[in-house]
Amino acid sequence: MVDQPLLRIKELRTHFHTERGRVTAVDGITLHVEEREILGVVGESGCGKSVTSQSILRLFDEKRTVKYEGEIHFKSKNLLKISNANMQKIRGNDIAMIFQDPLSSLNPVYTIGYQITESIMLHQKLQKKKAYEKAVEMLRLTGIPAPEKRVNDYPHELSGGMRQRAMIAMALACQPRLLIADEPTTALDVTIQAQILDLINRLNQELNMSVIFITHDLGVIAEICTRVVVMYLGQIVEEADVEKLFSNPLHPYTKGLMKSIPQIDGDRSQALHVIEGTVPSLHDVPNGCRFASRCPYASDLCRAKMPELKIVKTGQKVRCWHYEEILEKEEVDV
Amino acid sequence: MEAVERNAKLVMLKNDLKKEQRNLFVRRFISNKLAVTGLIIISILTFLVTIGPLITSYGPNEMVVDERLEGPSSAHWLGTDNLGRDLFTRIVFGAQLSMGVGLSVAVITSILGIVIGLYASYYRVLDNVLMRICDGLMSLPGILLAIALLAALGPSTKNVIIALSVVYTPNVARVVRSAALVVREETYIEAMKSQGASSLRIIWGHIAPNTLSPLIVQSTFIFANAIIVEAALSFLGAGVPPPDPSLGNILFDGKLVIFTAWWMVLFPGICIILSVLGLNLFGDGLRDILDPHSN
Repeated sequence: MVDQPLLRIKELRTHFHTERGRVTAVDGITLHVEEREILGVVGESGCGKSVTSQSILRLFDEKRTVKYEGEIHFKSKNLLKISNANMQKIRGNDIAMIFQDPLSSLNPVYTIGYQITESIMLHQKLQKKKAYEKAVEMLRLTGIPAPEKRVNDYPHELSGGMRQRAMIAMALACQPRLLIADEPTTALDVTIQAQILDLINRLNQELNMSVIFITHDLGVIAEICTRVVVMYLGQIVEEADVEKLFSNPLHPYTKGLMKSIPQIDGDRSQALHVIEGTVPSLHDVPNGCRFASRCPYASDLCRAKMPELKIVKTGQKVRCWHYEEILEKEEVDV
Repeated sequence: MEAVERNAKLVMLKNDLKKEQRNLFVRRFISNKLAVTGLIIISILTFLVTIGPLITSYGPNEMVVDERLEGPSSAHWLGTDNLGRDLFTRIVFGAQLSMGVGLSVAVITSILGIVIGLYASYYRVLDNVLMRICDGLMSLPGILLAIALLAALGPSTKNVIIALSVVYTPNVARVVRSAALVVREETYIEAMKSQGASSLRIIWGHIAPNTLSPLIVQSTFIFANAIIVEAALSFLGAGVPPPDPSLGNILFDGKLVIFTAWWMVLFPGICIILSVLGLNLFGDGLRDILDPHSN
């Protein structure tokens, strides 16, 4: 029981009902988050990162649009089985979330203090005054200058970075065990980005909180994550510790992503590496390996049959038929 | 001690801020000529209508038989009608009643409209049911629907209010719904949900305040419209039953004698025009102030 991970997702499938038929945005995700771990989730736009995170909190309208399958175990509870009322108690209290766009994630008609206070009062049943003090404290924790004053500001009076800090303060107000950060730094400039990453890193240590960090920025992953999951078209294609992923990427998709990072001392005259093509539409998912149409190593086998997520000697997990051959070939090339 | 001081300081800061924001709103309001003109017209009318009963020496239904259809004079400022009733007094009471009907309709439709609009925007199934009903109501001409309802309910001031509320609630519901549909897709609603807020809290605590400005603007227009339609209904004999004065009733009485007693049509007409004009100017001004996208 001691080593039980905080969050365990098993074969999660999230289907959407659209006008063009059923679409499976997340297709059999299995992953876990340990206590105090920062798990990175990377992938291109539209590969199901955000859907995964929103499925954990069950934020989609289950009556109309979405159907979940699989299991999400959090603290011995299966989140997909519990009632809506119980889910509401978990949201914000045990699992909190911060969003990509801090500009639209705060309600413009209320002060940030009110919004943080609301969530504290909701879950901790504190009195208004106490909750208000706590809101100021949370804002101070996130490094907003003069929090006593800022707490009465409306969102439009704050800069983007401060708004994201306010969002984080709101998410952390009830000291959740797990924070889901859905591209929290994408809309911010680099200096603020670094500060927010530092902040999340610090809070992860200080508050004993696990983090799922969703991003498409490998630089950010290298900066703060301990373990990484690479997603492609609703599936996990590779899972590894962060060092291993960067030193020894196995899946051709991961390799492609790595090559696409601009090198600071690289040759400027050469065009940046691109992975050819785009992510296929979810309405038209290929039969075989989902990456086959864009993969330089693709064979007939790849196009015909989907590989399983295999555990490799190095402890990594990879979903590819040919990773060993590719590895050998690369060694020969070097 | 330090904490106490800090709290006191906080409260002060908060009050300052609130004051500042209120000042900002007042300044924006004052710089808007339309809104100010409208407000002045409405204020003057309201003032006259309120003090009118105190300065007149006649009752609204008091008939002086040998002073029928007399023109404006020092005894009867706006003349008398065909039954020898003082026109000024009747207009004052009539305007009171008309504005009262307008205001009641504006308030009732706002309340009903916000409830219907918010729930329709939040629950898709309800949306289909409620909006189809609204479509149905809106497809009928307002006055015709009101007359039909009054025919069923019987003419009385209360029933005029009910009928007009039924006629105008769909308009408000539409406006609220369309504003709410935009708001419910905002990330902050999802963020609130991810913080564990219930649907009730999201609907009333977070979506509703964001729909208030279009609602306020819409309700001032409905106020004005209700005054016109009430006058029309009374003019047609389907509204406030005589002998109670309403602006429409007085016009109706004046219609028969329009060529001998012009004052009986002119003065209540002016009164309707001014109140509707004032409200519409005020509403236009408010829309400019409350909706930052319009300018």
